[in-house]
Amino acid sequence: MPAEKRLTPPSWPGGRAAPPNREFQVIGRRNRKIEGLAKVTGRAVYADDIALPRMLHAKLLRSVHAHARIRSIDASAALAMPGVHAVITGRDLPEYYGIIPWTQDEQALCEEKARYVGDAIAAVAAESELLAEEALKRIRVDYEVLPAITSIEEALERPEVRVNEKAKEGNVSKHVHLEFGEVEAELAKSDAVVEAEYWYEGSTHTPIETHCAVADYDATGFLTLTSSTQVAHYLHRDLARVLGLPTQRIRVIQPTVGGAFGGKSEPFSLEFCAAKLSMVTGRPVKILYTREEVFYAHRGRHPMRLRYRTGIRRDGALTGVDARIAIDGGAYSSFGLVTTYYSGQLLTAPYRMSAYRFDSTRVFTNKPCCGPKRGHGSVQPRFAFECQIDKLAEAIGMDPIEVRRRNFIGEHTRTVNELRVTSNGFPQCLDAVERASGWAAKFRRLPYGRGVGVAGSMYISGTNYCIYPNEMPQSGVQLKLDRSGRATVFSGASDIGQGSDSILAYIVAEELGLDPGDVRVVAADTDLTPVDLGSYSSRETFMVGNACLDAARKLRLQVAESLAERWGCAADQVTLAGGVACSTRAPDRECMSVKEAFQIAEARHGTLGSVGWYQSPKLGGDYRGGTIGASPAYSFTAHVAEVDCDPETGRVDVKKIWIAHDCGRALSPVAVEGQMEGSAYMGFAEAIFEEQVFKPAAPGHGPGLHHGPSLLDYRIPTSLDTPELESIIVESVDPEGPYGAKEAGEGPLHPSIPAIANAIYDALGIRCDRLPFDPPRVWKLLRAGDARARWERARAQVRGAAPAPAARAG
Amino acid sequence: MLTLPSFEWAMPRTVAETIAALSDRPGETLVVAGGTDAVPNLKHRLHEPRVVVHIGAVRELHFVREAADGLHLGALVTLAEIARHPVVRRDFPSLAKAAGLVAGPQLRNMGTLGGNLCLDTRCTYYNQTWFWRSALGFCLKKDGAVCHVVPAGKRCVAAHSSDVAPVLISLGASVEIVGRGGSRVIPVDEFFVADGIHNNVLAPGELVTRVLLPARARGMKCGYQKLRPRGAIDFPMLSVAFAARTANGACEEAALVVSAIAARPRVISGVPTLVQGKALDESLAEALAQAAYKQCHPLINVPYDHDYRREMIPVFVRRAVREAFSEVET
Amino acid sequence: MESTTTAVCRLKVNGDLRECAVTPNTTLLEALRYGLGLTGSKQGCDKGDCGACTVVVDGEPVLSCISLALAFEGREVTTIEGVSLKGRPHPLQDAFDVTGGAQCGFCTPGILMSAWALLRRNPAPTRAEIAHALSGNLCRCTGYTKIFEAVERAAATLAGTR
Repeated sequence: MPAEKRLTPPSWPGGRAAPPNREFQVIGRRNRKIEGLAKVTGRAVYADDIALPRMLHAKLLRSVHAHARIRSIDASAALAMPGVHAVITGRDLPEYYGIIPWTQDEQALCEEKARYVGDAIAAVAAESELLAEEALKRIRVDYEVLPAITSIEEALERPEVRVNEKAKEGNVSKHVHLEFGEVEAELAKSDAVVEAEYWYEGSTHTPIETHCAVADYDATGFLTLTSSTQVAHYLHRDLARVLGLPTQRIRVIQPTVGGAFGGKSEPFSLEFCAAKLSMVTGRPVKILYTREEVFYAHRGRHPMRLRYRTGIRRDGALTGVDARIAIDGGAYSSFGLVTTYYSGQLLTAPYRMSAYRFDSTRVFTNKPCCGPKRGHGSVQPRFAFECQIDKLAEAIGMDPIEVRRRNFIGEHTRTVNELRVTSNGFPQCLDAVERASGWAAKFRRLPYGRGVGVAGSMYISGTNYCIYPNEMPQSGVQLKLDRSGRATVFSGASDIGQGSDSILAYIVAEELGLDPGDVRVVAADTDLTPVDLGSYSSRETFMVGNACLDAARKLRLQVAESLAERWGCAADQVTLAGGVACSTRAPDRECMSVKEAFQIAEARHGTLGSVGWYQSPKLGGDYRGGTIGASPAYSFTAHVAEVDCDPETGRVDVKKIWIAHDCGRALSPVAVEGQMEGSAYMGFAEAIFEEQVFKPAAPGHGPGLHHGPSLLDYRIPTSLDTPELESIIVESVDPEGPYGAKEAGEGPLHPSIPAIANAIYDALGIRCDRLPFDPPRVWKLLRAGDARARWERARAQVRGAAPAPAARAG
Repeated sequence: MLTLPSFEWAMPRTVAETIAALSDRPGETLVVAGGTDAVPNLKHRLHEPRVVVHIGAVRELHFVREAADGLHLGALVTLAEIARHPVVRRDFPSLAKAAGLVAGPQLRNMGTLGGNLCLDTRCTYYNQTWFWRSALGFCLKKDGAVCHVVPAGKRCVAAHSSDVAPVLISLGASVEIVGRGGSRVIPVDEFFVADGIHNNVLAPGELVTRVLLPARARGMKCGYQKLRPRGAIDFPMLSVAFAARTANGACEEAALVVSAIAARPRVISGVPTLVQGKALDESLAEALAQAAYKQCHPLINVPYDHDYRREMIPVFVRRAVREAFSEVET
Repeated sequence: MESTTTAVCRLKVNGDLRECAVTPNTTLLEALRYGLGLTGSKQGCDKGDCGACTVVVDGEPVLSCISLALAFEGREVTTIEGVSLKGRPHPLQDAFDVTGGAQCGFCTPGILMSAWALLRRNPAPTRAEIAHALSGNLCRCTGYTKIFEAVERAAATLAGTR
């Protein structure tokens, strides 16, 4: 809902990408993170490290049924236990909330209906966790068990079983149909068309820190909530809404967060319940989720069934792309509206396609709610599409890297769905992984069982609108500088381990000539810091970085002007670097420490402080949903994966992934590599190991039971399983990013999965169109059909010994 | 966090004190040594003892002793110690290997030989939290009446999941059990029974005190293979232990044990006859693989499809046998 | 102890003799974190599956979340707080900081304890040995690459070859 006038950030001479001095002093160096030593010495304070005097511990009672009406709840026996201080139920927190304002369909505690096994329905505060847990067992819930929906098919076939009453129609959470160009006509011009169905199994974030919140409601009626969240601002708003408190009477603090990956990007029951119980008891209340509860809180990767029809011409040009996508959303909406759009909108680069259509439907099911996991909404279609390209390449007998190269969409261009693309280093990414992996010597040339595969992707650097419509900045920074020589950045940005606090320190240090250690970052505390929307959609470096760049440049200008006045030179002849302020014309004579420079500036301008903010330009296509997927800049990635498979067992050992990622400019190469490696690892994990799945109903029990909500049964890779990861940073330098930076935290996850799938084909001649590629699945694929013959044919094709297969392969 | 239930505490210093503590409250005690199996199970409320008897300080159970009749291992020897012990590695390499493949490094530092032998059986419907099991409606191994693996079944089919037990059986090891009435020594094979609820012969008040690896097992050609998804942490989803004595290139005797499929390790029958006088080679490996395949029928008690696990039995048997005759770890 | 009532647990932690009130069902992790304020050791999985709670007891890494505190009386417990040298980071900690071995930092104390114990018994581990020693510590951020680099860097520093 754009208003007439949209804020436009200031422009700077030389642009945002340029260094303040001739060359970068801090940016691009392998700096330490500002909180690094606190973390390695065990001093960093996470939510569960906080213990307040008189603090109570609370636990949530969760539904044992996948779908049940709550007739009544009797908590009298629990309340009668010594040491039990309060019990709350849905009636105490009836207000609906939800991260997307149009789909608010959740209650902190279910009032009338539980919608999945593990849905929260009551909370107990007691002197200890054990006591609270014992009290839960004494709460009597009278359930009326309802039929449960646990699959996409059931959700669509049984609209009369309403999982979520907020659905406008049956169990449909969101339906999007968009078409750009004449898909059928373009497909008809193809020399080969591949049609295939893919299944992307759900997975969950699994941060090693479980969710934890500590609430303290004081005698003045002021609530302080410390929570392991990645969206302090949205949490602040929803707390006010659900608790009926004014926002100015709530403070949300994000302490050090032990990983999130999207799993802490909306409010959860524990935050509301801890707050309400603190209000009821007048004592601080902590809720720490068990590992099991994190699997129920979920918001992880949506299971998706994806059917693609994709055409190619003999010269390698992609023609039409037709996608039909069914999405299993679980019981609530979460970010589902966005997920449904993203499942189609984010596919349209780095390859040009002449026409594109997608039809995506998200449904409600009686399972924990899916949401945004790293690479929100676009990892699944990217998997399917990159496998499609591999199949198309084979169909026309062209190297899959070459096909990708030929379809490169270019820089400073628009996609078929009207996304504005600025910088684009995708070809350099392809070149880099091709060279580093030794592709030419390996592709279709390794012995049976070993193979390589390639894939590419793009991702957003933040979204161009806030989740709730408003025209205020997406990110704000306040910067304080004083005669001590120390700078303090106040920022609402959320560091969840990716290093956004350090990025802020580096930017300020770069602009003001400081050591990053002389910059304090106060972040994600709604009392102290200006609003930033939080750590999601890979927005922090780009958006808060830009806000911080502006704040720092404003102060730099004040300092430079003060010195220029003193030295009688121009302000742009003043440099601040490495702790020293000097003029460029007489650096020996006109020279002092930056601390002295700050003192001169303080004397000249009064107390030093500045603000900076970021608001993205108006972006997106002129159609319903056209802004969803629009981002001020896109990152691009290419991977090559090499696998070594055991045909006897179906075990796929991913030996190495080469990751080339265009992140604009790498403000912190160590952090960028860390994001690339962590992303590639997480994609690999989804490809080979992970699945958030549920046991089907059986004579002895109902449906919807999580298969194994623990880190023993949900198997994330160990140090022995993870492939060697080689990061290659490609710097395209974006005109609008801070110093040219774009995102690095989510894009590099995408290609892992299809690169591995394509490598398995190279190794064994089987197409893994369903995730995960675990030994039983791979083994079954090997037993079905003529895998070995396909493997022989594929190799013969590259060696020129056999003709390309006929068109319309599949 | 996941809480532990309340219990009383006993920390005996000797075997005699331990037996006294166990006999004090028959049926109401739980022996904890390394705690790697017992403590998670307590957190899941799979055990609800009145008293935890922690035997970690019973020093007389912590020994490795070579004797004429074989190698004696105290019940409190840790899995890490077994995995790195030079004598074990030299004389009983499959045992060192199996111990080294249990879980992860920390668990092997904590977990003991006795504990691994007495490991509770595992099942995907059983090794879950109290909440999860209450949503399931519980199962017949704990708190319920139905088996969810074999719905018509009357007997618990939770899987024996010890890595070391199948190896000990293949090597003909025996185990010493001490109780109020004294001690007895039985073959490890006879230690286990086919009941998933309580899959060994320990009576209330009894304690495993030592394992004897017989001298005649020294230098047997042996192998151990474990199917697990990850390179660490995971329990076996199938395990195969093989050991054979050869003379002049021909097998004199052999044992093949397949486990993680049912409540007790399965000693493949007919193996002594099958191997007698035969060369330890690929064709024998294949014959053993087929024998095991016929006799073993995995259930859905542990992760991975039961049909896949069944198909992996010949593969893993072949590999274990190959490991034995190639004398190279694979 | 004959009952479920509170007892004093005497632990030798990081070279200090410390006392804290526990019940028999208090884990070593709870005693350290909530009894002694040593919050560096973390709880990640509840039951011995992730390694975030790793501490070193008598030289060997163990999982404190499935260890009962009373069983550790009289044993030498080292936590992440005991690895620093009078407030200065140990070369291993420094290496993790420099290489980016810690992202969110939550698994880091546990990983450092496993790595610290490894370097004490094997000052020059190969990458395979490092991966093996850390295979009971799950990290969700790094993909382990920078963790391996950090341990190698620390080994080189400690050996004086870097």
